[in-house]
Amino acid sequence: MAKIVIHQEKSMSPEETVKLCPFGAIECIEGKIEINAGCKMCKICVKQGPVGVFELVEDEPETAEFDPGNGILVYADCSEREIHPVTYELLGKAREMANKIGHPVYGILIGYEIKEKAKELLHYGVDEVFVYDNQHFQYFRIEPYAAAMEDLIMKKRPTIVLVGGTTVGRSLAPRVAARFRTGLTADCTKLSIQDNTDLDQIRPAFGGNIMAHIHTPKHRPQFATVRYKVFDAPARTKETEGKITEYDMPLEKMASNINVIKIKKKEKIEALEDAEVIVVAGRAVKKKEDLNMIYQLADRLGAQVAGTRPLIETGWLDARKQIGLSGRTVKPKLIITCGVSGAIQFISGMNNTDCIIAINSNENASIFNVAHYGIVGDIYEVIPRIIEKLK
Amino acid sequence: MTYKKIDERDLAFLRSVCGEDKVFFGEEEINDDFSHDELGGVHQYPEVLVEVIETSQVSQIMKYAFNNNIPVTPRGQGTGLVGASVAIYGGIMINMSKMNRILELDEDNLTLTVEPGVLLMEISKFVEEHDLFYPPDPGEKSATIAGNINTNAGGMRAVKYGVTRDYVRGLEVVLPNGDILQLGGKIVKNSSGYSIKDLIVGSEGTLGIVTKAILKLLPLPKKTISLLIPFPNLEMAIETVPIIIKAKIIPTAIEYIVKDVILVSEEFLGKKFPDHSADAYLLLTFDGNSTEEIERLYDKVARICLDQEALDVLISNTQERQDSIWKARGAFLEAIKASTTEMDECDVVVPRNKIAEFVKFGDRLQTECHIRIRGFGHAGDGNLHMYILRDELNQAEWEEKLEEVFRHLYQRAKELGGKVSGEHGIGFAKKLYLQESDGEVNTLLMQSIKRAFDPMNILNPGKIC
Amino acid sequence: MEIIVCIKQVPGTTEVEIDEETGVLKRDGIEAKMNPYDLYAIEIAVRIKEDKGAKVTAITMGPQQAIVVLREAFMMGADETVLLTDRRFAGADVLATSYALAQGIKRLPNNVDLIICGKMTTDGDTAQVGPEIAEFIGVPHISNVLNILEIKERSIVVEMDMGHTIEIAEVNFPCLITVEKGINQPRLPSFKRRLETESKEISVLSLNDFEDQDEKRYGLNGSPTQVKRIFPPETNTNRELWKGSSQELSDRLVNKLMEMKFVQEESGWQR
Repeated sequence: MAKIVIHQEKSMSPEETVKLCPFGAIECIEGKIEINAGCKMCKICVKQGPVGVFELVEDEPETAEFDPGNGILVYADCSEREIHPVTYELLGKAREMANKIGHPVYGILIGYEIKEKAKELLHYGVDEVFVYDNQHFQYFRIEPYAAAMEDLIMKKRPTIVLVGGTTVGRSLAPRVAARFRTGLTADCTKLSIQDNTDLDQIRPAFGGNIMAHIHTPKHRPQFATVRYKVFDAPARTKETEGKITEYDMPLEKMASNINVIKIKKKEKIEALEDAEVIVVAGRAVKKKEDLNMIYQLADRLGAQVAGTRPLIETGWLDARKQIGLSGRTVKPKLIITCGVSGAIQFISGMNNTDCIIAINSNENASIFNVAHYGIVGDIYEVIPRIIEKLK
Repeated sequence: MTYKKIDERDLAFLRSVCGEDKVFFGEEEINDDFSHDELGGVHQYPEVLVEVIETSQVSQIMKYAFNNNIPVTPRGQGTGLVGASVAIYGGIMINMSKMNRILELDEDNLTLTVEPGVLLMEISKFVEEHDLFYPPDPGEKSATIAGNINTNAGGMRAVKYGVTRDYVRGLEVVLPNGDILQLGGKIVKNSSGYSIKDLIVGSEGTLGIVTKAILKLLPLPKKTISLLIPFPNLEMAIETVPIIIKAKIIPTAIEYIVKDVILVSEEFLGKKFPDHSADAYLLLTFDGNSTEEIERLYDKVARICLDQEALDVLISNTQERQDSIWKARGAFLEAIKASTTEMDECDVVVPRNKIAEFVKFGDRLQTECHIRIRGFGHAGDGNLHMYILRDELNQAEWEEKLEEVFRHLYQRAKELGGKVSGEHGIGFAKKLYLQESDGEVNTLLMQSIKRAFDPMNILNPGKIC
Repeated sequence: MEIIVCIKQVPGTTEVEIDEETGVLKRDGIEAKMNPYDLYAIEIAVRIKEDKGAKVTAITMGPQQAIVVLREAFMMGADETVLLTDRRFAGADVLATSYALAQGIKRLPNNVDLIICGKMTTDGDTAQVGPEIAEFIGVPHISNVLNILEIKERSIVVEMDMGHTIEIAEVNFPCLITVEKGINQPRLPSFKRRLETESKEISVLSLNDFEDQDEKRYGLNGSPTQVKRIFPPETNTNRELWKGSSQELSDRLVNKLMEMKFVQEESGWQR
C-alpha cells in the first residue's frame, strides 16, 4: 500500500504548503505539516508541491499468494418478474472480458417464480445462471438478497461482480462488497480487463467534471456498477449453450426486518429540471393542435415537452414548461428544439445540455450556434417523418 | 403630430445603409415582438424595422429621418415595462441589439467599453471572469445595457452601490440630426459644464441614441451571503429597515417579500421556498471578500432584527441555498404574471421610512377598489413594484379600474414625498402620472430640453413629456 | 428516539477542471460546504424530531475544519455532533470511510434507532457509503427513499424509488435510509440556533476511541480501491449543420438518436 511521506525539513512556507491541497487535507499543526483525514490520495501535493517535501512511497509488493478468483458474475436485475435490460448489456461486457482471460460468465437471478426468466439470459452468452427462486425473494429486501449474493460468491469465488446501476443494484452491490471487505466502483463508464484479472474502471466524479481511473489491485471480487445504456447489449442468439442451476437458502438467511406493503406505479409528474430528454416547441409551431406532433416525438423518446416564451404566452403550454431566463434552467442529456430561433433569453436556460439537436428552417438562426447537430429543415416536414420511423 | 409615411424611396435608402436583409417592412415581415414591450400594454408596429451594426449607420438613418420628418424609435431587447420602445407613431424602428460587442476592458482605469446591445448578463459574466464587478443589478438580466442606461435602472444592489447613472463614465450618442457626440470618457471627475451625459442617462431614447458606453467597474467581492428574515407581519419587517440603515451597516440589497407572492412563485416554479413560518420577510444580502468578513457584518444586523422581534434570521451561505431563495425571487414577476390574465405595474419610489405606509395603503386599495394587487420590492431603496391584476375584468372595466388604482397610488406616493418611477421609467404609459405628480413647470422644462436636442421631434416622439 | 445523520464536507463547487498535462485538479481556494444531499437528510431528522420528539446527532469524518458543517448541523436543529478525525483516516475510499463511520456510530452512548444519509455526495458521486455503513453496523437499509409516510413506535414506513415503480415498505428500527434529493426543502441554518448552540461541544473521536483499532482497516490502508489517475472528461464540442431533403434529414436524425440510445425500449425502462 502506498503512502505519502512528508519531509518536514524541506518544507518552506507552511501557509503555501497548506494551500496546495484542494481538499484541505494538509494542515500545519504547531509548525508541522500533517496530512489529515481529508486526503483523497490525488497526489497533487507530490506533483505540484515544493520539491521533495511530499514523497509517494510504494510499499513492497506483497509476496503472499493471492487468489484472483475465477469467473465474471453478473447480477440479473429482475423486478416485477421482468429482466432489466441493463443485465444484457452487462452480460455482453462480461463475455468480452471473460474471453480475454479465459474465465466463465455467470449470472445470478434472485426472485420469485422467475425460473422461466433464467432461460432468457442464456441467449446472451452466459455460461451458467444461478437461480435463487423463493417466495421470500418476491420483493426486493436487502437482507435476503444480500445473503443470496453472498452465498453464491462464497460458492463460485468470481474475480469480478458486475451489477446494473439500478435502484436495486446500487443498494445491493455496496452491501455485498462491504460484506467481503472489497472495493466497489460505482457508475463505471468504461471497463477493461488485464491479463492478471485486474479490472480497469473509469468513472466520473465531481458531477462529471472529472474522470477517475480506478482499480482494485489486492481484493477480490472486484465489484463495479454500471448504469443502463452505457454498454451495448449483444445480439440475442438463437441457440443456447449455458446451463441453469438452482440454489436454495436456509429459511433463517431469508429473514428480514423489512416488510414490503405494496408496489405502486410511479406517477410521471417530473419537474422539467429533472428530465433527461426534453423536446422544445418554438415559435414555428403555428397552431395549438400542431403541438401533437411534438408530444408524439417526446413520447417516443421518453421526453418531456417544453416551450419558448412566445409559445407560453399564447397559452398553449403551461408557464411551468417555459425554458429560459424567465422560466426554467435545464441541463438534460438531450434536448431537441423544434422551430426555436434561439433568443438569448432561451439559450441561457439550456446551453449546458450535453447534446443539443436543433431543427429550424432558417440556416442563420442563432440556435445553430449552440446546437451540436443543427438540422436545417421545416419541422412540419421533418418531425412527422421521424415519428413515423420511430413507431 | 404628422410625420411622413415610409415609401419605396425610404426603403431603398435604408436598404442601402443597412443591407437588403436587415430591413423589414410591414406587419408581414416584422416580428410581432417589435410591436410591444415586455408588459404588452401598448401596441403599435413600426412601419419599418432595421438592424444596425455600427454607429455610422445610426447616424445616416437619423440624418435622413431628420431631413424627411420620419419618427425613429430605438429598441434593445424590448424588456421595458412602460412602452418606451414602442413606435407609437410608426416610422422607423432601429433594432440596436446586434451592436453587441464588448469593445475594451481597461484594467488600468477599471472601465469597460461596450456597444449598446450587450446584455446585462453578458457584462456581469465577462467582468467577473476578470475578478471585476459591474454592480447595477436589475431583475431582467437579458436587458441590453443601453436599455438600462436609458431607464437608469438600479436593481437590487442600489442600496449599497447606487444606480446605473453612477456607473456610466462616458457615452457615444447619435443626436436626432445625425451628429455623433462623445460625452464624458474614462475620466473619474468632470466639472466641464452641464453634464449632458447624465441627461442622456434615463432619457428613454428621446434625446439621443446611445451607440457606445464606457462603464465604471469595481473589484469583485468574492463572496455573497443572504439573510432571510421572517417577521410576524409586513409592518414589523419594513419598520426594521430604517433601524438597520441607522446602524450604519449597508447591505448590498434589502428586499421585502410577502407570503402571497412566495406561494405564487412556489406554484409557478414547482419548488418549495425554504421557509413558510411567516407572513412577511426581509431578504438582506451582504458581500465581501471572505465568509468571516461578511459574518462580522451581518452579526450586528441579525441581532437588530431579533431585537425587533423577527421570528428568526436564516442564513443562506451556499449556492444551493442562494438558489432556493433567489430563483424564487427572480421568478416573482413571471409568477404573478402567470397567475392572472393581464397586469400592469406601478414602480413608485418613496423615502425608505415611508415604505411601510405605502405598502399598507396598497393593501387597503385592494379591498376599496375590489382588485388584486401583488407586490414586492426594494425595501432598502424605497422602490416598490406593485402589480395590478386584471383577472376576470372585461376590457372597459379593466381600463377604468386601472386608472383609478394608478391615480390613488401615485397621489399617495406624491404625498409621501415619492416619485412616479424608481427604475422602469415613464415611457408612454406613465406620462400623465408624471405630469400630475411633478407639475407643469417641470413638464415645460423637460419639453424645452427635448426641443433643444430634437427640434423636429422625430426621436422616439410621444414619450416622457 | 435516537436519530443519526451522516454528513460530509465537500468542495464548494463541482466546477473543477483538470490540467491536461499534469493531470491535477485546477482549483484555487479551499472553500467547502456541507454536501447538498445531506441537507435533505438533516431536514428529515429535524422534522421527525419536531413531530415525534427525537434526539438528532450529526456525525462526520474529516479534517478538523469539518467542524464547520457540524456547527451548521446545530444551526439546522441537530442536538449533538460528532467529528471523527485522525490522520490515519487519510486516503479512505468508500469501504474505509464507511467502516470508520460505522465504528464511530457504535461508540455513541445511546442505541440508535434510525440512521439517515443523503443519497450521495457531490464530490464522490458514489451513493455507496450509506449501504456499507448499514452492513458494518448490521442493520437493514433502504436506499433512494422518496418519502416518509409514517413514523411508528418501532418502525418507519417509507416510499422507495424503484425506477418505474415505487415500493412502500415498513422497516423495523434500528435501520438506515438514504434519502433522495427533493424529498423536502431543507431549512436554512438559523442565527437563533447559532446563538443557542454556540457553546455546545462537538465530540471528537479518533481511531484510539474505536472498538476496532486495527490500522489496516482505515484510511489508505483499509481502502481496496485505488485511483490510478484522474483526467478531464471528453466534452461535446461537435458542431454539425445538416442539410438535405426532409427524408434524408429525418433518416440521419433517427439513426443518430438510436446510436446515442435515446429511443425508448418497448418496456419503458428508464435510464
